[in-house]
Amino acid sequence: MARQIKLVAACGAGVNSSHQIKDAVEAEMKKRGHNVKCDAVMIKDVNEDLLNDYDAYLTIAKTDLAFTPKIPVVEAGPILYRIPAMAQPVYDEVEKICKKIEAE
Amino acid sequence: MNGIIHFANAVFKPLIDMGAPTIMLVVLTVIALCFRVKFSKALEGGMKLAIALTAISNVMAMLTNAFQVPMKQFVEHTGIHMDILDMGWAPLATITWGSPYTLYYLLVLIILNVVMLVWNKTNTLDVDIFDVWHSAFVGLFSMYCGAPLWLSTILVLFIGTLKIINSDLMKPTFNDLLDAPDSNPMTTTHMNYMMNPIIMVFDKLFDKIFPWLDKFDFDSAKLNEKIGFWGSRFAIGVYLGVFVSLLAGTNFTTEAGWKNMFTLSFTAGTCIELFSVIGSWFIASVEPLSQGISAFATKKFEGRTFNIGLDWPFIAGRSEIWAACNVLAPIMMLEAMVLPGNRLMPLGGIIGMGIAPALLVVTRGKIIRMIIIGALELPVFLWAGTLVAPFVTNVAHQVGASIPAHTLVSDTTMEGPVEKFLGYLVGNAWSKQGMFIVYALLALAAYLLLFMWYAKQMKKRNAEYAAAKENKD
Repeated sequence: MARQIKLVAACGAGVNSSHQIKDAVEAEMKKRGHNVKCDAVMIKDVNEDLLNDYDAYLTIAKTDLAFTPKIPVVEAGPILYRIPAMAQPVYDEVEKICKKIEAE
Repeated sequence: MNGIIHFANAVFKPLIDMGAPTIMLVVLTVIALCFRVKFSKALEGGMKLAIALTAISNVMAMLTNAFQVPMKQFVEHTGIHMDILDMGWAPLATITWGSPYTLYYLLVLIILNVVMLVWNKTNTLDVDIFDVWHSAFVGLFSMYCGAPLWLSTILVLFIGTLKIINSDLMKPTFNDLLDAPDSNPMTTTHMNYMMNPIIMVFDKLFDKIFPWLDKFDFDSAKLNEKIGFWGSRFAIGVYLGVFVSLLAGTNFTTEAGWKNMFTLSFTAGTCIELFSVIGSWFIASVEPLSQGISAFATKKFEGRTFNIGLDWPFIAGRSEIWAACNVLAPIMMLEAMVLPGNRLMPLGGIIGMGIAPALLVVTRGKIIRMIIIGALELPVFLWAGTLVAPFVTNVAHQVGASIPAHTLVSDTTMEGPVEKFLGYLVGNAWSKQGMFIVYALLALAAYLLLFMWYAKQMKKRNAEYAAAKENKD
């Protein structure tokens, strides 16, 4: 199996929105044949150290950070709309990142 | 007739006797099935809710048992009457979802949303099913205070209507805060934004009297970065354990005194972390039902574009929210100690996520205003938390938490403090009548008028946004 790709999703309390994103992305990427693991955290706890452990950062919308992340940042908010067609572009973007990492 | 009642009792009595987790396992599974959720998914949700209720009851018991004696000593030693333990939002959400009435209020509010969409009174389709617990909490509390179900339903519908209108009013501000195009559908009907009207009053005062304060606004992201782990949940739990031990007159000349302090601190840190973990199970438990309802609603309105009502954190990327929470936490601790009528000991709710988002929306990120207005409105939250404590403790007992006798639990920063006072007044107006009827009517009228004034201000703001856009084009 391909190398596991580690993502991190963040929201207010790290329990609701970020978990919805995590569950949806993990399920969809599995369907598309990628080995993806996504963690869910509080936005408040996201810092440079934390992001170093991941391959990409999934936010809901624009996110202020005191540093410039070295990993790709994906706006995954449309997953929360619960309308599959609107979530597709997010999945495609995540898949692109997966493919790039798997090719390395 | 007797036969029917006898039959119903024979079927439901054993189920009710099984306790809240079992009842909710059955009820949630059946309701999800009604919305055409697959059986295995529906059952998965029901089971997760049952284990979340069981787990949260046990952790609440663990926390209250650990704090029972030190808090009693704290009160005796300092003379400060803070004897209600703050659990934060997760336990309150879980136990509110432990009542079948919450699903009833959910259905009522879905019907309201659909009706408002059909009549073109709103453009928001609310898919944030989980947060219905805020409204259900107000309904249940008004029933606890004596209101019959129909009256509590009217109250919930009244607040629910304003919440949906508010989500439309705030939409352009969200686009501004997120730097998003008009096509972005994100909005929210979250209860915490029902503080907007009151915050708006303060914000207008600022415009008139203290506009110069805005030049002291600082870089929130940098502040949060510096605070780092010191502001994390478990660290706050540990501080509170130390704080209570110090003021409870613990004898630090003995080894036992030190050991008690550390044990209490780590227990507090553990429980606060566990509350979030369990919170995530319980949100996952409602997920199949949320999917079912959303799929149902989007199918009914095919071809129409909506704004979509989400949980509040789509704006959690704005660092001002967290800077305000970080600065307001110690302020709340101080206020809690000196505020007359407050009995809450801040702990689980000390990171005020039920306060900060509304401050951001009204002030549009002016951090000094957010902090000052936040500090001014905190007493309302503390009083509301104190007011609902007997009710919360009662519900916790109902779902099976063995909280020690004479110990009360509540939440310091629960969204919708004003709505809790409305629930209290409406409930008492029915049960005690007399002047309560007058107070309830006056409060409801003031609440509505203030909201209407706020709506006017927001419409002005939205017209400015529209004009600015036109000038740009």
